[in-house]
Amino acid sequence: MKFSKYIKDNLYKIIILVLSYLITLLILLAFKVEKEVVVSLFIIYIITTSTLLIIPYLRKRKFYKDLTHNIELIDQAYLVLETINKPDFYEGELLYDALYEINKSYIENINKIKEQLKDFKEYIEMWIHEVKVPLSSLTLISNNHKNKFDKKTKKELKRLENYVEQVLYYARCENAEKDYLIKETDLKEVIKNIGLKNMDDLLENKIDFLVDNVDIKVLTDSKWLEFILGQIINNSIKYTKNIKSSYIKIYTKEEKDKITLNILDNGIGIKPSDLPQVFNKSFTGENGRKYSSSTGMGLYIAKSMCEKLGHTITINSKYNEYTLVSITFAKNKYYDVLK
Amino acid sequence: MQKILIIEDDEIIKEELSTLLKNNNYVVEILEDFKNAIEKIKEISPNLILLDISIPYINGKSLLKELRKISNTPVIMVTSSNNETDEALSISYGADDYITKPYNPNILLLRIGAVLKRTNINSNILFYKDLKINISKGIVSKENEEIILTKNEMIIFSNLLNHQNKIVTRDELMTDLWNNLEFINDNALTVNISRLRTKLKSLGYDNIIETRKKVGYILS
Repeated sequence: MKFSKYIKDNLYKIIILVLSYLITLLILLAFKVEKEVVVSLFIIYIITTSTLLIIPYLRKRKFYKDLTHNIELIDQAYLVLETINKPDFYEGELLYDALYEINKSYIENINKIKEQLKDFKEYIEMWIHEVKVPLSSLTLISNNHKNKFDKKTKKELKRLENYVEQVLYYARCENAEKDYLIKETDLKEVIKNIGLKNMDDLLENKIDFLVDNVDIKVLTDSKWLEFILGQIINNSIKYTKNIKSSYIKIYTKEEKDKITLNILDNGIGIKPSDLPQVFNKSFTGENGRKYSSSTGMGLYIAKSMCEKLGHTITINSKYNEYTLVSITFAKNKYYDVLK
Repeated sequence: MQKILIIEDDEIIKEELSTLLKNNNYVVEILEDFKNAIEKIKEISPNLILLDISIPYINGKSLLKELRKISNTPVIMVTSSNNETDEALSISYGADDYITKPYNPNILLLRIGAVLKRTNINSNILFYKDLKINISKGIVSKENEEIILTKNEMIIFSNLLNHQNKIVTRDELMTDLWNNLEFINDNALTVNISRLRTKLKSLGYDNIIETRKKVGYILS
C-alpha cells in the first residue's frame, strides 16, 4: 500500500475539505472576523484533515502490505489467506471473508478436478491393461496362423501397441503421483529389448542397427527408459527409411559425473527452424507433415518423462545429414558408496 | 519332453499359447481350477510355469509366494502391467523371469528356453551324431578334430540343434541373435549360415543344414 496512491485515491475528501475551508474562510471574511481566529481555524482544519486521512491509512496498511507481499512470496497464491491475520477494519473484514469463500470453493473445485483426473488416470491404466489382452491374443493368433495373416498384420499390431503405450505413459507422466522406480539398470538389457521390438522394421527397411559400448549401468526406471528410447527409435526408423546405407547407431559416453546415451541416425534430419520445437506438445513440423502418421506426442512425452526421472534429453540435427538425440544420466556418488 | 503349465484366465490366449508351445515341442497343461491352484500344480508337476499376474481367486503374486514355499519350479510371470515395481516384486517373490503382454511369441519361446536351460545344467554340451558341441566355449569337436565357431555361428547352430528336424525360420534365428545382442542384418545372417556350413563340411557333415525356400532352415 503506497501512501501517494492512497492520497490520490482519497483526493476527493481533500478537495471537499479544502472547498469547505474556503467557504468558511469567505464567511469569516464577510463577518470580518479577527485574523487570529482565521488562522487557528485553518490549523484545526489541517490537523483534522490529516488525521482523518492518516489513521485509516495506518490501520489498513499492515493488512494490505502483508497480503500483496505474501502473494508474491508463496508459489501457490491462492493459499495466501493462511499467511495473514484477519484485519480489524470493516472493509478488510469484508475482503477477507470474500477471499475466504472464494478460496474455499476454489480448493473444493481443485480437489474435485484432481479426484476426477485420478479416476480418469486409473481408468486409462485399467483400460490399457484390458486392451492388452486382445492385443496379445491377436499377436499369438497371427503368429500361430501365419498362412492366414501376412506381415502387414504384425506391423499394424505393433503400431497399435505403440499408440497404446503412448497413452499409458502420457497418463503416467502427466500425473503428479510418482509412478516410477529408479534403480540401477543394465543399459544393455534395455537396448536389447528395444532392438528386438523394432527388429522387423529395421530389417525390412535395411537399416543397420549399430550398438556400441552399452555394457554399462545407469540409474533410471528401465520401463520408462525403454519407452523413451522406443519413441526415439520409432522416429529414427520413420525418417531413415528409403535412404541408402542407412543406420541407427546407439552408443554411450562416460564422463566423470555423467553418462550420455546417444542415438544417431543418418536420416533426413530436422530443419533448423523446426529444431527448437520438436519437444513441444503436438508439434509435427515439416517431417511430420511429409511422412504423415505423426501425432507430435512421442518426443513431448519422452521429454516430460526424462524431466521426471532427472535425465536431460537434447536433440541435434543437420538437415539431410543426421539426427542425434542424447540422454544424459547423472552418476550418483552416494549410490556407489552405498554399494 | 518338457512340460509347461499355463496359468491364465483369458480363453483365447490360453488356446493360442498352448498351440504355440505344442508347435515348439512342449507338453502343455492348462490350470483350470484356480481355487486349488497349489494342489493342482503339485499334481501336474511341470518343468516350467507361465503365470499370469491377474488371475481370479488368487493373485498371481500371492500364488507365486505360496508356491515358493513348497517348490522351486521355474516360473515366468506374464503381465499386462508394464511397471517396474511389479517386476521387482515378482522377482523378489521368486519369479525366474518376467514378460509383459503383448509379447512377441518368438521372444517368449527364447525366454522359456533360457529359463529351462538355466535350471538344466547339462545343456551347455549338446550332441549331434558323433559331434560334441560345447556352447559356451564355441567348440564343435569330433574325436580328435575340432573347429571353433564364432558367437553368431554358435547361436545359429545351437538353435538348429534344439529344433532338430523342424524348420527354423529366418525370423526365429534373427530373434535369437538379436536377443543375444548381435544386431546383424539379413546379409550377415546369410553369410553366417554359409560359413557355418563350410565349417561343418570340414568335419565331414556336408549339407546337414538345408534351406527351405522362403521358410527357413532345417537341420536333419
